Amino acid sequence: MAEIPTYRTPEIIRPDESYLEKLEKMWSDKPGLIGFFSTVDHKKIGRRYLVTSFIFLLVGGLEALIMRIQLFQPNEHIISAHLYNELFSMHGITMIFLYAMPVLSGFGNYLWPLILGQRDMAFPRVNMFTYWVFLLSGIFLYIGLPTGNGTDVGWFNYVPLAGSEYNPGPGVDIYALGIIFFWISIAAGSVVFIATMMRARAPGMSISRIPIMIWGTLTANVGLLFAVPSVLLVFLELWLDRRFGTDFFDVAAGGHPMLWQHLFWIFGHPWVYAIVLPAMSIVSQCLPAHCRRPLVGQHWVILATILTMVLGFGVWVHHMFATGLPVIAMGFFSAASFIIVIPSAVSVFAWVATIWTGRPIFTTAFKFFAAEIILFVIGGVSGFMTAAVPLDWELTDTYFVVAHIHYVLIGINVFAVIGGIYHWFPKFSGKMMSERLGWWNFWLMFIGFNVGFFPMHITGLLGMPRRVYTYPAGLGWTWSNMVTTIGAFIFAIGVGVFVFNVVRSLKAGAKAPANPWDADTLEWTTSSPPPHYNFGVIPRVGSMHPLWEERLRMDETGKTILDEGPALDEEHEMFGTTIMDGDPDVILKEPGHSFAPIIMALLLAGMFIGMLLEWWWISGAAVIAMIPAMLYWFWPSPEVGRAAEG
Amino acid sequence: MAEPGLIVDRPLPVGTAGRRNPGWWGVVLLIASEGALFAYLFFSFYYLQSMADNVWPPSGKPPLPYALGTTGAFFVSGFLMWFAERGIRRDIKWRLWLGLSVSALIGISYVLLQLVDWSNEPFAFNSGAYSSLFYTITGLHMVHAIVGVLGFLAILMWSAMGYVTKDRHVAVTVMALYWYFIIVVWIGIMATFYILPYVTPR
Repeated sequence: MAEIPTYRTPEIIRPDESYLEKLEKMWSDKPGLIGFFSTVDHKKIGRRYLVTSFIFLLVGGLEALIMRIQLFQPNEHIISAHLYNELFSMHGITMIFLYAMPVLSGFGNYLWPLILGQRDMAFPRVNMFTYWVFLLSGIFLYIGLPTGNGTDVGWFNYVPLAGSEYNPGPGVDIYALGIIFFWISIAAGSVVFIATMMRARAPGMSISRIPIMIWGTLTANVGLLFAVPSVLLVFLELWLDRRFGTDFFDVAAGGHPMLWQHLFWIFGHPWVYAIVLPAMSIVSQCLPAHCRRPLVGQHWVILATILTMVLGFGVWVHHMFATGLPVIAMGFFSAASFIIVIPSAVSVFAWVATIWTGRPIFTTAFKFFAAEIILFVIGGVSGFMTAAVPLDWELTDTYFVVAHIHYVLIGINVFAVIGGIYHWFPKFSGKMMSERLGWWNFWLMFIGFNVGFFPMHITGLLGMPRRVYTYPAGLGWTWSNMVTTIGAFIFAIGVGVFVFNVVRSLKAGAKAPANPWDADTLEWTTSSPPPHYNFGVIPRVGSMHPLWEERLRMDETGKTILDEGPALDEEHEMFGTTIMDGDPDVILKEPGHSFAPIIMALLLAGMFIGMLLEWWWISGAAVIAMIPAMLYWFWPSPEVGRAAEG
Repeated sequence: MAEPGLIVDRPLPVGTAGRRNPGWWGVVLLIASEGALFAYLFFSFYYLQSMADNVWPPSGKPPLPYALGTTGAFFVSGFLMWFAERGIRRDIKWRLWLGLSVSALIGISYVLLQLVDWSNEPFAFNSGAYSSLFYTITGLHMVHAIVGVLGFLAILMWSAMGYVTKDRHVAVTVMALYWYFIIVVWIGIMATFYILPYVTPR
């Protein structure tokens, strides 16, 4: 074991062939299955997140289509009421948890180091661990459905309905334990993102030069760091109530069901912003490239993003207006819900101004981003309406709210994500996606979405409650439900075209150049797809738009330098930088491939399976096995300069 | 190249040397998140207490000496961890050994004492909201303390193997931070469960 020196001055070089070959060898994974299970490469993690979350999106979409067939006509009995309940529960859990955040983690993991001019995230192994936990917890959450034991009380899982008295079966236990398991992934992921942004940027990337996509993801992850413990705790309390007879939610013994609602929504509303702010920042990052100009008011958009998240922690009670809270509390939270519109709208105005003053190129990606703006406005207005307490009393638990949540989540998240895929697909895969198929993809999804979800507003105003299995004829709900079902299928065909386009482009797409959109940020300086080491020499960043400096005349204050820089070529090395100035102050030694992440994830899975089946010896064995697993993970290896962390 | 700080022309620490590394951030962020977890636990407690129709704790005032003794021991271990961390920065090994081993012993004694306290409680896990909260909060804290003790033992082993030095001691620094966090949570537990019943009007 050769001790490495404590201090070193990196040599400034221009990379040549042999140097790059050395890096490529150093950073690439082991071949075969060993490499598959031991990789910690952020690009692979990002791709796995994207693919897995998309599979969950398709599964959740199929569940929705079955429900839409059931609701096509009054008095249908195509599926049983119990299955219907399971389907809407799993649809919510899948879309809101297993798709919406992980897909953004996919973008974040793949793109962050490339945008930040780095070679990896701050904690590569923790990063890999979050993916395995996400995958295993997603499978865990689905074990009930095929056997008819799925949870059937909706994703809010309100007590007392979710308590053991009214719901003795294992469905809610699977949900509670599976979702605790899932949150471990999200919480650990937020630590990785925040530490990366704080400590692992390219030299010169001071706080004012960090591209906007980073800010959206960062803000969401800071929010999650504080929001996730709330939901983790509330599901733990529920599970203890159900399995050990504690009394957190039992009124007779001093508990209270409102505790569930408070803790759930203290998490729930920040979560909404956590799954839309990174998606909005994807639009803020990509739209300007397709409009040929920087984002209008970009610093205002960043500040508004942060303010939205902060205010997002103070609006949770607007989900609970119908629970009989004191008027003063409702007034406060209603006002807060109105105020949050202001920072949320800053992005919208900035996007519109960017399109207005730019020279938009009508690529498929651009169309998705432009549609996102329209859908965001519609979803925002319906949210603004329900922020008013009297109107909320009228509309709560009707299809109006269902329409609102879908405009917000599909409008802001799915449309931005698919636009983002069209934008970054060349970087992910080295292939261009078909614009011709993209045209069909966009219009089918956009028309299908609006045909499907806009009538839901009317269905809701006509009084149809959400989550009903079927409805009688003659209430005026028939036509709007029919239109919704037709629209849902058009939308699904659009998603199908997207999947086809991805698969076809991977096989037969045109080869992508390094920077097909002539975009402005560092990820486009690498080849498509990027080499394992990302950057031969770490770039020196001079502005927020490294590739547009000359045309923006920003190169006078400090120029981005890409072809010459410090050689970091002893094992997995990159710079650690100071928070404000982005000044390099340490050479980080990143851990390479490791089996520790998947071992820890499997042990956690074993622990939760034991808890579900109440086979305590399995859980106990898994917990005890975690001790050597953690020792293996954190074992200090002086040859890579590690003491005992990372 | 006009901008200062962009040219790397000075020796930089390599790996985990010094305090400048992501591991420190990782633990600080972990503590922030865990702190939020305990904040929500205390929220659950005070929320349910505010709605309770009986006086908490329902079984009368808790024994104070146990809580005060534990608090004193925690303060001693907190000081020793600080002393150890400052020591290893100057390569004084005995201070590290003293701090880690005594803190580990205090952590183990705390867990044992807590179990004794549990067995003496007049209420069970499932006899009302107060007892549910009492056992959940103290239990989760105990789990954290056990993790802390295991961390102490791991670092003791690694420092015996020569991995913890003046230049590479971030493990000790973050372990000390984590232990301070456990102590701060204990103060919240002591105030909530042991002190408040004595100072609030019944």
